[in-house]
Amino acid sequence: MLARRHFLSLSAALLAATALSSSILASDRKPVSGGKLTWGVETEPATLNPQLNGQDKTKLLLRNAFESLLARSADGGYVPWLATGYEISPDGRTYTFRLREGVKFSDGQAFDAAAVATNFSKLKDASYSGSVSAGPVALIVKIDTPDTRTISFTLDRIYAPFLDYAAGLELLSPGAFASAQIKSGGPEIAGTGPFILRRYAKGQEIRFVRNPDYNWAPTNAGHQGPAYLDEVTYRFLSESSVRTGALASGQVDVIEGVSGNDAGLFKGSADFSYKTALNTGTPYSLFLNVTWGPTQDVKVRKALIASIDVDAVLKSVYRGERTRAWGITSPIDTQFYDKSIEKTYGADPKRANQLLDEAGWTSRDPQGFRTKEGKRLTIEVVQAQATVRDQRDVLLQALQAQARQSAGIDLAIVFVDAGTYTERRKTGQFGSIANSNTPTDAIDVEYHYLPVDQGGSINYSRAAAPELSLWLKEAASTLDHKTRFDLYARLQRFAILDQAYALPLYEPEDQVAAARYVNGIGFRPFKQMPESAYDLWRSQ
Amino acid sequence: MDSQNTSAISSAPTFFASHRLRRNGLAAQIAGRIGSGMLVLWAAVTLSFVSLQLAPGDIVSLLIGEQLRTPEVEAAIRAEWGLDEPLLSQYLSYLTRILHGDFGRSYILQTEVSQLVLSQILPTLKLTTAALFVAIIFGLVSAVLTAGRRIPRGIAGALELTLVSTPSFWLGILLLYLFSFTLKLFPVSGDRSFSALVLPALALGLPLGAVVGQVLRQGLERALEEPFALTVRSWGTSGLVLRLRHGLRHAALPAVTLTGWLVGSLLSGAVITESVFGRPGLGRVTVEAVLGHDLPVVLAVAILSAFVYVTLSTLVDVLYLWLDPRLRSDSPEAAR
Repeated sequence: MLARRHFLSLSAALLAATALSSSILASDRKPVSGGKLTWGVETEPATLNPQLNGQDKTKLLLRNAFESLLARSADGGYVPWLATGYEISPDGRTYTFRLREGVKFSDGQAFDAAAVATNFSKLKDASYSGSVSAGPVALIVKIDTPDTRTISFTLDRIYAPFLDYAAGLELLSPGAFASAQIKSGGPEIAGTGPFILRRYAKGQEIRFVRNPDYNWAPTNAGHQGPAYLDEVTYRFLSESSVRTGALASGQVDVIEGVSGNDAGLFKGSADFSYKTALNTGTPYSLFLNVTWGPTQDVKVRKALIASIDVDAVLKSVYRGERTRAWGITSPIDTQFYDKSIEKTYGADPKRANQLLDEAGWTSRDPQGFRTKEGKRLTIEVVQAQATVRDQRDVLLQALQAQARQSAGIDLAIVFVDAGTYTERRKTGQFGSIANSNTPTDAIDVEYHYLPVDQGGSINYSRAAAPELSLWLKEAASTLDHKTRFDLYARLQRFAILDQAYALPLYEPEDQVAAARYVNGIGFRPFKQMPESAYDLWRSQ
Repeated sequence: MDSQNTSAISSAPTFFASHRLRRNGLAAQIAGRIGSGMLVLWAAVTLSFVSLQLAPGDIVSLLIGEQLRTPEVEAAIRAEWGLDEPLLSQYLSYLTRILHGDFGRSYILQTEVSQLVLSQILPTLKLTTAALFVAIIFGLVSAVLTAGRRIPRGIAGALELTLVSTPSFWLGILLLYLFSFTLKLFPVSGDRSFSALVLPALALGLPLGAVVGQVLRQGLERALEEPFALTVRSWGTSGLVLRLRHGLRHAALPAVTLTGWLVGSLLSGAVITESVFGRPGLGRVTVEAVLGHDLPVVLAVAILSAFVYVTLSTLVDVLYLWLDPRLRSDSPEAAR
């Protein structure tokens, strides 16, 4: 493993040295239309239907063809897009959107209130949308279309994150729902986007062509009117070193997903640009199971958190290329992140040992691990082998070493297949699961801290303290920002400091590297994922 | 040896009589082959079905994954895929459907399985055929040129050992780095042109060729030590002709026996090669289907691979007969 990485970074460095240096600095020139572009991506979509696709990493390509009612601004505000504006009724339960005129789906169908209504009512049907039907759409009790340009949704109660959800939902042509491709997605599933899905070659690539009629970009987009590029192709290259090599040798123009070791190749290079953005949502955190094994004891959970120096671990594993996280949501969440939690815990081996002594883990076995009544202090971290990415296996091993060294805790990492992982998640038989997610507007917090059977689909601490659901429900049922902020801040202190449900590690990020002649690369405001190809143009 | 020779001689006068018998034997043999082939297909389907049922993790949970789970969602998924039926009737209805050519829909990809497999089979066939070609050519050249020659043999042996023990992931990256990223001779990815096939075929074929080469060389060396080799040499035949026309035929038997293993390695090796080179193909589809318990896809692939095995092993048996006349013993006289 080590040898392989060493080889790869070496080869990458050699490549950079020999790369052509004839590219032209063109950032200050006027955008030009035309040309094709190839983008090497890590993740192939499981389905091309954006409403059913839960893979964040595929949004950058799906958003070429599919759009939503409102866009976001960097501070979390809402910007007109397919809707020109919105209104919330005084009782907080009815959301009304006014739709833009002259928008057409790429299959020729008109974008109007009926089309939007079809999308939302289809989503409520579990036989179409599965789990999505149990999400925010489940709260809709009435959909009204008073005229062709107005649509309103009435909820059965106030639910503050609804706007975030409804504004961001990708809308399909109503004709799509009659297609046999509706669930798998494909060229028959039309959207309103600046590009049209032309061809999908499974396992290889997906190609979009420009939508010549497009003229409804959000007001904060880089330009208006049709996209610059004639065509954009996303090629699936699951190996990070292959993506790096393909970009460095000019076989693709843009890549996403650059490993920490390869970043130096493109960073500060005259031939390439390199950009990163932190994700939104819950940081990658080690959730400690309160219903199984030694972590049922809050003292053990606190001791584990105290035993680890996260900064030191991140520095050694990622060479400082990752951002430390402290709380229950992303440090870049401009709405609900309370940064007062920073530097209030951790890296305190003395306290860790004291807590474990108090908890009765006083004796040691020959390997130096703490024991109680002849049983070793083992916390089993269950990890699905197939979903290891971003060197998280190395990160977990580094945590393991620290926990052992500073407190005699056996953090056992168990790599399992997808089936076993599912089984253990379901039965709750694990010591810890590490995980992150990306939703905004505190939906990320709900998924992690509501009870398992009441919407906490990834509640891996399995915490069910009544305070948690009380605060979450209270926060979701008011539209007052200050009240919500205070409640999430209280929950953060409770979950991390008082109860030690989780040890936040780092905030995942997206990286995009591109040849210098590719202009207009950026990330979506607020949501932070790589933006579609709409604003991209080639200067050669 | 002696008795076989005499039986071959004694059977000569009754050639015409035995020819008819042999044809009857052949028909019976073909029927037997087809019958056992069907049995193998059925066993492959049944074993795959059972093993996926025994593997941990139920399909409903796997499909829901980390999304919201409610009784309604579970019920919708069960209804969609007929999972609320008892296992036995799921199994029987599946068998009935495949007899009608309906392989069902993929749980995960939501596409018709027959369409999915058809769209992925061609790139995999291209890759494995090209790799098989690479393996055989490499093995042949390496064995014929170096058998019985001390120094070339040592060099070839070392090369083969290196190739066999190099993980194909590594070999793939190495080839990419040299010929694609640096020399820019071949493109990195996809199934778009012949040039895109070269590197994946080498990455997959060379390690297998190394094994074939080792086995062939051993056989060839043994053959060259046989008395007949000396006899042939005494006719004034050149060394290369001796190796190619006479030695190889003897050496080929154990190598042909490897074919089954070879085909298995090609199919399983294709997984890694496909993902390193960003190629479409059945390998990756299969791995994802097994991990996700995507039963319809797994079963279709099981049927397909069983079919390939049955076909190839039949071909190999025929090849044996062609290679070694001593095995052509299906006439009643020879069986005496």
